[in-house]
Amino acid sequence: MIEKQKIRPDALKKLLEIANDPYGCLADLRKKKRIIGSTLADVPEELIHAAGLHPFLILGTNDPIRHSTAMLPDNSCSLARSNLELVVGYQGAFFDGFVLSQVCDTTQHLCDIWKRKFPDHYFENFLAPRQVARPSARDWYAQECRRLRAALENYTGRKISDEDLRQSFGLYNENRSLLRRLYDIKRDVPALMTNREFFDAVKATFFMDKQEHSRLIQEVLHWADQEKHHVTEQDGYFKAIMVGIVVEPPHLYDMLDEVKGGIVGDNLCTASRYIYHDVEVEGDPAEALADRHLRKPYFTPINEDVRRIYTDLVSLYRERKAEAIFYVHIKYCESQDYDLPDIKAQMRAEGIPFLELETEYQTTHLAQMKTRLQAFCESVIRKGLS
Amino acid sequence: MNKEAGETREKPSAKELSKQLTAAYLEDARTAHDHGKYVAYTTAVSPVELFVAHDIIPIYPENHAVACLTKQMGTELSLAMEKRGYTSHLCAYARSDMGYRITGKSAMGGIPDPDFLLACNAQCFTLTKWFEVLARQYQVPLFVFDTPQWIRDPGARKEIVKYCVRQLKEMIASLEELTGKKYDYDRLAEVMAYSRDASLLYRRFLDMAAYKPSPISIFDALIHMAITVYLRGTPQCVDYYQTLCDEVQAKADNGIGVVEDERFRLYWENLPVWFKFRDHFNLLKSYGANILTSLYVHSWSYEFDTSKDPLETLAENYVSVFSNVTLEERAEMALDLFQRYALNGSLMFVNRSCKAVSFAVYTLKDILSEKTGYPALIFESDMGDPRFYSETQIRTRIEAFLETLQRREAEAV
Repeated sequence: MIEKQKIRPDALKKLLEIANDPYGCLADLRKKKRIIGSTLADVPEELIHAAGLHPFLILGTNDPIRHSTAMLPDNSCSLARSNLELVVGYQGAFFDGFVLSQVCDTTQHLCDIWKRKFPDHYFENFLAPRQVARPSARDWYAQECRRLRAALENYTGRKISDEDLRQSFGLYNENRSLLRRLYDIKRDVPALMTNREFFDAVKATFFMDKQEHSRLIQEVLHWADQEKHHVTEQDGYFKAIMVGIVVEPPHLYDMLDEVKGGIVGDNLCTASRYIYHDVEVEGDPAEALADRHLRKPYFTPINEDVRRIYTDLVSLYRERKAEAIFYVHIKYCESQDYDLPDIKAQMRAEGIPFLELETEYQTTHLAQMKTRLQAFCESVIRKGLS
Repeated sequence: MNKEAGETREKPSAKELSKQLTAAYLEDARTAHDHGKYVAYTTAVSPVELFVAHDIIPIYPENHAVACLTKQMGTELSLAMEKRGYTSHLCAYARSDMGYRITGKSAMGGIPDPDFLLACNAQCFTLTKWFEVLARQYQVPLFVFDTPQWIRDPGARKEIVKYCVRQLKEMIASLEELTGKKYDYDRLAEVMAYSRDASLLYRRFLDMAAYKPSPISIFDALIHMAITVYLRGTPQCVDYYQTLCDEVQAKADNGIGVVEDERFRLYWENLPVWFKFRDHFNLLKSYGANILTSLYVHSWSYEFDTSKDPLETLAENYVSVFSNVTLEERAEMALDLFQRYALNGSLMFVNRSCKAVSFAVYTLKDILSEKTGYPALIFESDMGDPRFYSETQIRTRIEAFLETLQRREAEAV
């Protein structure tokens, strides 16, 4: 007999479908709006939305790499490689233009190669500050928002009014708020939905029409609010923190689900860094976006207090009463390469169980990683025992 | 009597001057703390003039790393840091530096510990992360001078300069806090004048590669750039480049070339393979080829406009280094060298250590080949770690490339 809580609402099924095949599911979008692709992280999508365009976050592909290998050095990270592959090899026709952000050497120089590949597309760099340690960063972020706003107006031939922006801020704030509510429920009732389901539901927001995504999330919330009272099997779950930039391939979530590790906190660009903190609707729009940017969780390529690479993790771990931290390390990500030894040393000093999972897009050898994760859970935190 | 002796003493050569200046600079740095002075680590492309004007001694971990890598210490130092959990994918400068801090081994007796760190990301992003590691280790402040990409948009450029100037003011406030001393802008103006003069002379030296035959090779440039990297902003630096220019000009006037029967004048893309550059020079020479220049060695040929606010001209010069411009503009900078130096081929090195410079090299090769029609060779390796240098394979490829040049030359006749 199927347990009651295992029956998922159609809204959730739809979100998961889009998260895993956005290009197949959203082909109709192009008929309604011009699609502007952007890359991680920190492009203010609200500006693109307020310009009457559809912002779409490009999150790579797990399909085979055929084209980008010849354009990049072999030690470039797989996120860069697969993003370029996706647009050059698979989905270039899906996009009308791109707004690409620069946070490291790879992303900066990737922009140049990308632009050359798409000479007929609208193209804009978003030069987010690579330090947020001093007041100049806030003003620079606001200035870049003003430049992007003017560039988008020029592209569309239509003014973006402050009222347009306020409406977009409201729409995005509402969406973030709904996702936060769902995260709260998932945290409290880990058996209600899997990690994969929750984070895929979040992922879908990077692709979809915001209003439609919020509508689907509201339906999921409605279901979750009802079902959480019926979930009886809460034993055996442990609280995990997921750390990194993105979790790819997403099977990593499945592995954690299998050992009953419920994610109760994260600092991922594709989760908390996105859903926490809203934009103030009143006041100067560019400054409001800058304020939101500065409130976001620590992000490794952006310089601030150099100890935040581990102090934030320790705080999150303690605040959420977690039992382990899982660090998803994208191979050849220089930021993470420099941080990891100091993070590991600090975790050892704090007595925090910590597991690094080194992955790449197109990772096919997951069995070994699964064994490591299971062994870690069984031996270090005494969880996931069958 | 002293005066008489001085009159008869021959003026030291640039090479002798270089040794003297380097020894004095390192002595000053090593004894800085004994004399109540501060030591700041900084990146090779950074507004070091702000330190010089505030009597802070700048130290360049990159230069120290180059000395170690040239002495073939790269693998040993890297292995030491790999044992601490770092990966061999990182920049060889960083690996060498962190290995030195673990083992204490150095090619030049080590460098003093820092009181302050400055990372300018126009050069690359990796320096920020490397210096973050050092900031945690030494528990000293790190200032990141953030230089957004110098995109070709006049309006954006104005705003970028404003952002950079504002950051330089923030940095000056940090230096005042560190030293407890008020910043002296008159002194900065003097330092800027020395920096301007030295940079112009350095450029003049590099531009002598335009003579046929060229009196210098890129290997001379790589040796002689050291002084402007760590002593710009001082009168000694100006004297040094004046001496060097006089020496090289005399060679050019007498038609003395580095390579006899110079036939191929080549462009080099990227930093050098530090532990191989003598071998590369000899191999090329045997074919009548000379590498004359690269954008890398031109990174220090600044054009400071001392009629402007010093912070503004500092910002403009440091933000626009070749590694921080768009690929389109970088290609134009390289093409300008092709034209001015009458180059007829390229060796393009994809350096595992340096994503900032290497990432777009494949695309850059396409542009240069298309615009010049001259052949280019791409090879992948590492600037400092022989484990990633395949001797036979790279030698064979360079030889094949040189034979291609010979064939083209014969066909043209």
